[in-house]
Amino acid sequence: MRGQIIDAVFERMARNADVFFLTADMGINLVEKFAEKYPARFLNVGIAEQNLVGVSAGLANLGFRPFAYTISNFVVHRCFEQIRNDIGIHDYPIVLLGTSTGYDNAPLGPTHHIIDDWGALKAIPEIDIYCPSSVSYAGFLVDHLLNTGRPAYVRIPKGAYKTPASTDHVVMLPGGRQDTILVSYGTCAQDCLAAQSRDPALAVLVVNRLRPLDEEKLADALAPYRRIIVVEDHFPSTGLYGSLCEVLVRHSLRGGLHTLAPRDYALDVGTSNAYFHKKHGLDVESILAAAALH
Amino acid sequence: MTIQTKPPAAASVRASNALPDPVAIRLTILDMLYRAKASHLGSSMSVVEMLVAIYGSTRVEKIRDRAPDRSRVIVSKGHCAAATYATMGHFGIIPMALLDTYHTDHSLLAGHVSHAVSGVEHSTGALGHGINVAVGCAIGLRARKVENATALALVGDGEIQEGSVWEALMLASHLKLNNFVALVDNNRISSITDTAKVLDMRPLAQRFAGFGLGVREVDGHDVTAILSAIRELTAGDRPGIIVCNTIKGKGVPFAEDQPIWHYRSLNDELYAEAKAALVAAARRA
Repeated sequence: MRGQIIDAVFERMARNADVFFLTADMGINLVEKFAEKYPARFLNVGIAEQNLVGVSAGLANLGFRPFAYTISNFVVHRCFEQIRNDIGIHDYPIVLLGTSTGYDNAPLGPTHHIIDDWGALKAIPEIDIYCPSSVSYAGFLVDHLLNTGRPAYVRIPKGAYKTPASTDHVVMLPGGRQDTILVSYGTCAQDCLAAQSRDPALAVLVVNRLRPLDEEKLADALAPYRRIIVVEDHFPSTGLYGSLCEVLVRHSLRGGLHTLAPRDYALDVGTSNAYFHKKHGLDVESILAAAALH
Repeated sequence: MTIQTKPPAAASVRASNALPDPVAIRLTILDMLYRAKASHLGSSMSVVEMLVAIYGSTRVEKIRDRAPDRSRVIVSKGHCAAATYATMGHFGIIPMALLDTYHTDHSLLAGHVSHAVSGVEHSTGALGHGINVAVGCAIGLRARKVENATALALVGDGEIQEGSVWEALMLASHLKLNNFVALVDNNRISSITDTAKVLDMRPLAQRFAGFGLGVREVDGHDVTAILSAIRELTAGDRPGIIVCNTIKGKGVPFAEDQPIWHYRSLNDELYAEAKAALVAAARRA
């Protein structure tokens, strides 16, 4: 999905002279074309993420529409104050493109596990947050971001998932009966879809836009279900589980809300995200077991 | 208490060749801080001539009118808000009457500069942010092909301990942004003690030169010298930085070079003493 989004930004630069692409020295074999075709609107700031955000704010002051790209954890965690002060307080239409989510970088260790990123940004009200779950939504997203003109963080999973083939912020995939529903986003949505293929009774709700939540739509979708299981590669209290706790309370929904999510940082090595998904109960077997248990 | 200075009419921009009197600005700052019982007297007094030179080097009417091709002034050491607003008032960028609301309920004039105030480019307060934004503005001005406009950042000598400042300077130097000038308020006092006791960065000028910047070192209370340095640097082929040697609390004898005046507010007696000193300075001038 990274390719879809980057290519979409590149294409929009031909039509929109305000689009400016920045990287903190990431994106080999991906960003070079920006430098070649749009040298005046491309900038590699170097391994200097604080500057990536600050410079983006300066460009936004000049009316540009910056897309700032690097690995998710580098921009979110190091630059929290820059995102709060220089983007959020100013309401600048800067898009932070963070590549990698959850355990996409599994063997690289806990500094590269991205399980607490968007929850941190959830603390800053001005920042919209997206996690595309399919190439369809990824392809739609750049135009949506340019149209909304809002500060945003896009959490880009590795992988080019074809389903759900939808550009909706919330995608409902009904099950055979209205009993248990899985709610997820990004890479974990694929595990939920695989679980649904094994047990067609399970419903799946995919959430591509994590903030603002389409709250009325979510409440309507979740209302019939007795068991709601949130599956995410992010700490639950600051993740979608936490957000849905609020939704359920605000809408007086009585469904039991359950979480499958990591709870702490991992020092053990896993060579792929499958290792950590199994460890934290995010894999298909664990999801099916949880659905049967609750 | 009344302000005894003679400011320009509200929102009428001064002619660029008639710069405001720094002592008059200091009197305005003193009244703002006294009325509000606010802090940051020391750093507000040290930057007055720097601010006069910074705004004096620009087409201030473009800043007031938010013209797209205006110069961008970014006050990175946002705690000198009183000085910034007072200087903007004396230049006619904001109405002088607005200064009466500094630090009061419902005002937009907080203790750190805010872009909610018309004419302020960027809100600052946490250090090591504004200079990066100013570099972004310089890049943006170049990308927009705006000539005759500069990005000017005012930073503190304590602020440059923030690593992000050096990220900004590295990039400015790499891109040879000759439309970018940073001015360092080298008052030699940071938050609680002498800057050199905390992190000794001397000789500052050589450190900046090592980063590839064009460097000038001037008396930070000499408007003409600062203005000349800005003009020289923007005529060059690389970004500029001006080490402005200043006195924290300048013009207020009991506050000069005293770290505590980063925090302390004025009582009636000290206000009267400070005002008498500034009025005497104005008469001498």
